[in-house]
Amino acid sequence: MKHQYKETLLYIENLSVAYDDHVIIKDITLTEKDVVREGVDHTGQVIAFVGRSGRGKSTFFKAITGLVPVKTGKILIKDFEATEPNIAKVVKEGNIGFVDQKYTLFRHKTVQQTLKFALRKTSLTETEKEAKIKEYIEKWGLDTCVDKYPNELSGGQRQRIAIIEQLFSSDQFIVLDEPFSGLDVGNIQEVKKSFELLSSTSDFNTVIFSTHDIELAIELAQTIYVIGYPTINGKKEAYGTIVAKFDLRELGIAWELYGEKHIKLSKDIIHQMMIS
Amino acid sequence: MIKFLTPFEKISKSNKTIILVSWIVLIIAIWFIGTSGTKHLFPSPAQVFSGFTALYNEGLVEHIFNSLKLCFLSIFLAVVISMLLAYTWPIPVLKPISEFITKFRFLPFTGLSFYVALLVHDARNMQVWILVIFLTTFLTTSLIAVIKDIPEEEFDHAKTLKCSRWEVLWQVIILGRIDYVIDVIRQNLAIAWMMLVTVESIVVASGGLGFLIKNSDKFMNHGRIIALQIIILIIGLGLDSGINFLRKAIFRYSKI
Repeated sequence: MKHQYKETLLYIENLSVAYDDHVIIKDITLTEKDVVREGVDHTGQVIAFVGRSGRGKSTFFKAITGLVPVKTGKILIKDFEATEPNIAKVVKEGNIGFVDQKYTLFRHKTVQQTLKFALRKTSLTETEKEAKIKEYIEKWGLDTCVDKYPNELSGGQRQRIAIIEQLFSSDQFIVLDEPFSGLDVGNIQEVKKSFELLSSTSDFNTVIFSTHDIELAIELAQTIYVIGYPTINGKKEAYGTIVAKFDLRELGIAWELYGEKHIKLSKDIIHQMMIS
Repeated sequence: MIKFLTPFEKISKSNKTIILVSWIVLIIAIWFIGTSGTKHLFPSPAQVFSGFTALYNEGLVEHIFNSLKLCFLSIFLAVVISMLLAYTWPIPVLKPISEFITKFRFLPFTGLSFYVALLVHDARNMQVWILVIFLTTFLTTSLIAVIKDIPEEEFDHAKTLKCSRWEVLWQVIILGRIDYVIDVIRQNLAIAWMMLVTVESIVVASGGLGFLIKNSDKFMNHGRIIALQIIILIIGLGLDSGINFLRKAIFRYSKI
């Protein structure tokens, strides 16, 4: 399927994070652009990060969402408020949504209150806010949950609310830390559906997620980054960085049904993970 | 039967009831049999019953009301002060004050009551402030523990929703844990109730259960003492259940 690269949505340069003197991640550089496909209304961007445990994936996610201070480097995203194209801004806390493994929500707010709170800083009027909440509630199949508290929701419902909430509040970027961890088959399907919904809503919707399930990463993402310990001059370093990038669009296997080529890619990714 | 004696064995609800009822019957039987002779250390059921009657005739209901009034007033004041101290605990410059207050819970009762007596001359107010000071130290400690137990994810979640640091404090700590305040009160109620009876017996103001105990103690009236202990226990347990019910009724999301 033909595709074209448009504006840069996310730009990270020489990113490093350290807790005191202990470097967790270093020298991370990447660029993600808006991709449009022929004959498809909206193609959101789905980016996966894989890697062995303790390689700094979660720290990387916290850095790009502004939750931990960076030691060096810069993170820029498209400024959606700018009228001219290709205008970027430095990421601040709240610009990129973050959904953790537990799908944390405010425990004292109902779904309706949660979504209204997420929209509080937008320029929408009260009526527009209500309409937007109603639209998403219906589209995401959450009609029965409006007046429920998080402890009254199922895992899948919680996850969907957490995604919508972050989408409402952030600038179309959502980071999900291991969204499939500990989910049963049914809930995995629900998360996959959420990804499809996000992708089909806007070209600019960008989902960044980490997973240990390589097959799922290949099935859902268009770009896969492997985070691991780099080997420099024959010596394995003890900080995380991007050790490999796989662009499924370039490989001609993005948006395709899982087949032989995907299986081969899976082996390559696992190999990269094992050596880093 | 062997099941009842085996550790970690799961038993049905009806069996649990049987065990509980058997224990109660056994205790009552021991009480009756053990106090049936002419010489006994513990008062007999008849003595306790006559203790109840005597207490009722002396205005037991009014004394209970006075104790409860003192209890609620002290808890209310202590909760307000403790919340103020606990909610300012995350502010670096105020943190040492809250931490310092929690250390006061190790201070003895008697020494402090002497200084309160110097400052507050009215007996009733003295009772209130002795209780408030002591309760504040315990409640602040518990409330700070609640804040410390909030997972980091909840703070991060609020931050990703563009909450300022003050909004994080308001949404995650104050609103997000308001039901825990009630549970903290419930947990500390036993301490409050125990202190209250002691304070009422040390500083005699407007009666109360502590005053009644002191009077009964003076005349070695064992029947009355045990009758009062039973009343204090029942009221304490009633308050505990009442507060727990209130928490669940007001906060639907609360599952502590």
